[in-house]
Amino acid sequence: MTMSNRRNFIRSSLGGSLLYSGIATDLLARQEADALAPRGAHFPGRAKKVIFVFFSGGVSHVDSFDPKPALYCDHGKQLSLDHPETRGRGGYEKLFLKRPNWTFKPRGKSGIEVSDLFPHIGAQIDQCALIRSMHTSHSNHFNATLGMHTGSFAFSRPSIGSWVSYGLGTENSNLPSFMVLAPQMPYAGTQVWASDFLPGAHQGTRVQGGDTPIANIKPSLSIDQQRREIDALTAIDALHGAGRSDAPFLAARTRSFRTAFGMESALPEAMDLTQESAETKQLYGIERPEARTFGQLCLTARRLVERGVRFVELIHTGSSGNWDSHGNMADHGTLAGQSDQPVAGLIADLARRGMLDDVLVVWTSEFGRTPFNNTAENPGREHHNWAFSSFLAGAGVRKGYVHGNSDEYGVRAVEKPVHVHDFHATILHLMGFDHEKLTYRHAGRDYRLTDIAGNVVRDVLA
Amino acid sequence: MIMSCNNKHMKHTNFAIILALAIYPCSRADERDNHFESRIRPLLAKHCIGCHGPEKQKGGLRLDDKSGWTKGGDTGPALLPGKPDSSALMHAVKRDGSVAAMPPKQVLSPAEIQALERWILDGAHDPRNQVASLGGMSVEGAKRWWSFQPVSKPTPPENGHPVDAFLKAKLKAKGMAFQKTSTPHDLLRRVTYDLTGLPPTAEEMEAYLADTTPNAYGKAVDRLLASNAYGERWGRHWLDLARYADTAGENTDHPLPHAWRYRNWVIDSFNSDMPFDQFVKAQVAGDLLAEKAPEKDKAGLIVATGFLAVARRFDHDTDKHMHLTFEEAIDTLGRTFMGMSLGCARCHDHKYDPITTSDYYSLYGILESTRFPFPGCEAKMQPRDMVILPGNEQQVAESHRIDSRISQIDAEKARLKQPIIQLKDGKLLARGTVADGSNQALTVESPVTLKLGEMLLLAISPLTNHGADSTRVEFKIKATDPAQPSWDLKNDTIDILHTGNPVGVRKGSPRVWHFFDLQKDAKLLSKSLVNILGKPGLNGWQSEADTPSVMVNSTPSEIKAFTSLPARTFFAHPSPNGAVGIGFLAPVACQVNVSGIIADAHPGGTDGVAYTLTLVPASATENLPALSEQRELVSRLEAERAQLLAKRPNPDLAFAVAEGKPADAAIQIRGEPEKKGPVVPRGMPTLLAGTTVPPGVGSGRLELAQLLASPNHPLTARVMVNRVWQYHFGNGIVRTSSDFGARGLPPTHPELLDWLARYFIDDNFSLKRLHKLIVTSAAYQQGNGPIDDRDPDNQLLGRFARRRLSAEEIRDSLLRISGVLDRSAGTQHPFPPENTWGFTQHNPFAAVYDNNQRTVYQMVTRNRRHPFLALFDGADPNTTTPDRQATTVPTQALFFMNDPFFHASALKLAQRASEAADVNAQIDKLYSLSLQRLPLDAERSIVLQLAPTGATRLDAASLAPVARVVLTSNAFLSVD
Repeated sequence: MTMSNRRNFIRSSLGGSLLYSGIATDLLARQEADALAPRGAHFPGRAKKVIFVFFSGGVSHVDSFDPKPALYCDHGKQLSLDHPETRGRGGYEKLFLKRPNWTFKPRGKSGIEVSDLFPHIGAQIDQCALIRSMHTSHSNHFNATLGMHTGSFAFSRPSIGSWVSYGLGTENSNLPSFMVLAPQMPYAGTQVWASDFLPGAHQGTRVQGGDTPIANIKPSLSIDQQRREIDALTAIDALHGAGRSDAPFLAARTRSFRTAFGMESALPEAMDLTQESAETKQLYGIERPEARTFGQLCLTARRLVERGVRFVELIHTGSSGNWDSHGNMADHGTLAGQSDQPVAGLIADLARRGMLDDVLVVWTSEFGRTPFNNTAENPGREHHNWAFSSFLAGAGVRKGYVHGNSDEYGVRAVEKPVHVHDFHATILHLMGFDHEKLTYRHAGRDYRLTDIAGNVVRDVLA
Repeated sequence: MIMSCNNKHMKHTNFAIILALAIYPCSRADERDNHFESRIRPLLAKHCIGCHGPEKQKGGLRLDDKSGWTKGGDTGPALLPGKPDSSALMHAVKRDGSVAAMPPKQVLSPAEIQALERWILDGAHDPRNQVASLGGMSVEGAKRWWSFQPVSKPTPPENGHPVDAFLKAKLKAKGMAFQKTSTPHDLLRRVTYDLTGLPPTAEEMEAYLADTTPNAYGKAVDRLLASNAYGERWGRHWLDLARYADTAGENTDHPLPHAWRYRNWVIDSFNSDMPFDQFVKAQVAGDLLAEKAPEKDKAGLIVATGFLAVARRFDHDTDKHMHLTFEEAIDTLGRTFMGMSLGCARCHDHKYDPITTSDYYSLYGILESTRFPFPGCEAKMQPRDMVILPGNEQQVAESHRIDSRISQIDAEKARLKQPIIQLKDGKLLARGTVADGSNQALTVESPVTLKLGEMLLLAISPLTNHGADSTRVEFKIKATDPAQPSWDLKNDTIDILHTGNPVGVRKGSPRVWHFFDLQKDAKLLSKSLVNILGKPGLNGWQSEADTPSVMVNSTPSEIKAFTSLPARTFFAHPSPNGAVGIGFLAPVACQVNVSGIIADAHPGGTDGVAYTLTLVPASATENLPALSEQRELVSRLEAERAQLLAKRPNPDLAFAVAEGKPADAAIQIRGEPEKKGPVVPRGMPTLLAGTTVPPGVGSGRLELAQLLASPNHPLTARVMVNRVWQYHFGNGIVRTSSDFGARGLPPTHPELLDWLARYFIDDNFSLKRLHKLIVTSAAYQQGNGPIDDRDPDNQLLGRFARRRLSAEEIRDSLLRISGVLDRSAGTQHPFPPENTWGFTQHNPFAAVYDNNQRTVYQMVTRNRRHPFLALFDGADPNTTTPDRQATTVPTQALFFMNDPFFHASALKLAQRASEAADVNAQIDKLYSLSLQRLPLDAERSIVLQLAPTGATRLDAASLAPVARVVLTSNAFLSVD
């Protein structure tokens, strides 16, 4: 076959020449099923969007949200426990109660006691349903972090954000449905926001901040040049797509470039805080150097949900330099300085904009910290999964309410205990899902976020 | 009633389902029957079976069958016939507090309680025992289940290619037929990607299109099957199933530096067309087969068991969570070889398939009797139990010799216990705190009188415990009498610090400078450090842990390590839990002035340091000379130890399993390892053989391997030919390719499946010949065609489905088309040396190593997925992946728009194309290199609009936009 014969042959085999324009628009007009198309819940849910604030490392409940007067008076009293973090550990043969480093005060109209560690959040406590009876299945960061995000304490499973994205789709096709604002990598790495067996569109898109908040978002070409290339691509793909309508992914792929092109401007726009007033920034504590980073993330989270992102997760620090204050509880103070006002500012800002009507704010850590240590004077606290505190605020959540309690020292969740599975079931309920029915068939089994457990905590519902 | 098949030892494997049944005699229609039917059955149905029936088995208990209450729940039988008072059920309904009250919410009426009591008293007659079940199926159902039947030998319904004959018959029945054959261009591109994962080269396409002989296609297929790229492509399919990874997946994601040998073994096995039965056997029991194998095959067989060894590890201390690793291995083994979800039976009998918890633990025992290599984890960082490959015996002997001397040294060192030294009660001369990033002069107001043996002790401790406490120290001691000597910590020690602790000013002079760990009793820092972090001239001492420590930057320039260490400076670093001490032991009585500087050298560490200077009485330093002598000895031992370690040979190791201590495992109730149930003998699942491992043969892996690889096994060949079919056509004949059980889909063409399986078995399990058979069918060669409403899902294969390239194909194609693909096989990844590992969950292993080898050779990490592989739906290395997703998301588009690797590849392609003579030839070449065809006129006119108008020849930069568009286009990213 000569060169020219071959050329003719290939040309005829491809169906001859077609005009540049026209076809592309026809093809693109054709909408096929989209993994992220907005979908319905099981029943009308109060919450349409979620901001999930995760404090990494284990926030001490007895120093923050769970007042235990007995800890002050019984400081130094010995107690005997078969605790996962001290069992068989040298130097931990004896355990002693240890008084909190911060004092508690009633806050707001509800008079819920919050310590001086979180005065700003304390000022917003009337918006919140505070759960003082949380407990979880593992006392290790990796596993507890995985559990708090996926309901599984060992295996990789879809993240709660992926489940919500899968259940509800997105409202803005120019932005991912599930975004994670995490400058540092958390425990368990990318598994924290993985979609696992759910379709990849539901995977969390991690925003690291800085010049390239997500991979390849920064245009490598001028906008004009990029638009010209995408136009050419669209035309080329339209030629290719003619006679290939049997493969809808081809048109979907071409369209994804338009979306990505939109994202290149939509994401920087969403993250551009210069559009916010000085007063708003002040609300988030952004003018304070120590609170700047997290304040900016919290404000960005508001802007993302405003623009239709379904699930935004904020992670306060990563797998190190975090709330894991074994050495000295004073570190909690430093970390609260970075994070208290931003979280409180977020709640206040959402409230005044009326956004708490359909945005659910979740605040939690992977577990709490021991109300005791091997000496009462040990300045730190160890991991504690038997009791800790978390709170919900916003859409459909009962305001200014305390749910459950731990025992007199904060050791065990004794009154209306809420396991992580119950917590997840409740969040899904607020979004309009029956957690037992939000399932996905994988490897011959129907999987769900709550594994085979979970009860909706009805008391926290408004 | 539960099968008891465990008393038969394995002889010749017989795959008819062996089910020992003891069907209860039919019940008599007597009074007891009436009582049961009228009172008990309705009562149980109303109050109990919701939670204790087919849907849920709370507490492990079922009450929907006699066998359920006989066996009972987690706490034993639910009732004892004739003994209501000893029956847990009665205590529960009476709510007497001895067991959990049942039903949880509704209290039974007294009449109902009475009825139950009478029933139990009368012997608990229960006719609901007709359906004997095995896991989630009735025994009869399991016997009839399609995938457990022996592989039949169906006759193709017509002449011609047998594959086509079966397919055509079903198409005809719907009035359908195959599409006409694809164009030669499309077909070569399809089969080349399919068999090798790479695009054809322009030359290959040209040669193929020019080949007019009738067997041109067959020759091309042979060429592709013979290329190494075949094994790299199809080996990757297998690695998906084997959930291959280069890290362990526990909380710190420890590297597996030897796992690559298994990866390469898989690739090599595909390339050498190792018969699949041998391939299966080797992966389960290669080490045992190696014992009798020819020398040249031994290493490969051992390496093959990497299939089991790379099972994921879990948690902080992986040794304590091996039950999860065994589950993962059982599940992977079951799904991969048998298409059975065996892992589902860990906590309860399988809900749908005939697999019991006993079956699960009979396999569990086999794995527990196997030694898995230990990759290291946060709790125990030292890896162990790697398998030494044959041919390394001498190195191993040498390393053993060295190891035993090292043990001797360690024992000797352990005997040399340091005497206790207390330096705490000195007289305070000065103290201070130094804020983060600041410094302070060390001053003592008046001269200090030192007696011989007294010590000036400078102790530096952390303020809080951030650890970033590098502290620069100057410490000068000047005698007031100018005739007497002076000392200066920095000048005295900077060039000799690592040579001793204590250390003198120069050789032979008294050793005045001492460096202590003051966390509890004073200890001399015991480890000499040279070139810390690989920085030449950064030397010092540390305790057995990293801190406390002292060090010097002895070089004339600044060193960046931990923080910025200026030239010619001395540093001390306390531990988070205590002080580091610098002691000056007076060698003569003298009166001295003390001065110095304490500077926090790690600004931004968020805290500073505190210091004290004390005068320690001579009585407290008496033991120091003895201590130093001991230190000398220890240093010598340590030097020898270091030398031995350096000389220790590095034998070839495999991340592979070996035989452990054979023992049967106990059932773990509800999957909880601490709740032990009865011990079950090691053996094979009841549905396949029900045989137990005979005593004295080891773990049972060899028997398991032989069972799986037997030509009579109903699943192994069926499952594999179905996978091969799936990888060729996009869907399997059974579309759930790892589930041939009740929750899976039935085969669309059962006879074809059996015919292929039989062909495969009878053809000595050759995969290459199976590929050839399939890809030479008309079904495979047909065009894509339109979607037919009679078969919208293309179950009948009346068309060939287009597909997107996989992650590996995208990257490999970009490398090849841009001319930089490195065709060499990958070996070990450039992991940091094992002795430098210290991964924690706070700082886990994380790296991306990039090169230009094929993607199959790139490092696969478990806890942080490779960003490119994650973006384009690469396999999940945490679980067996039978098929890839092919998502289309905008973040993928961003890769093509902005990724530096993509842009660099496009530029290289543009460079290659720009060599052509003029702009049209350049565009032709660009198309030819990337799509192996010339552009259509319409395409040419579109892409030319991206070039400067009127140019007759383009440079690479001007051609790059064209290259980007072509490499982004659907024509490139999809296969017809």
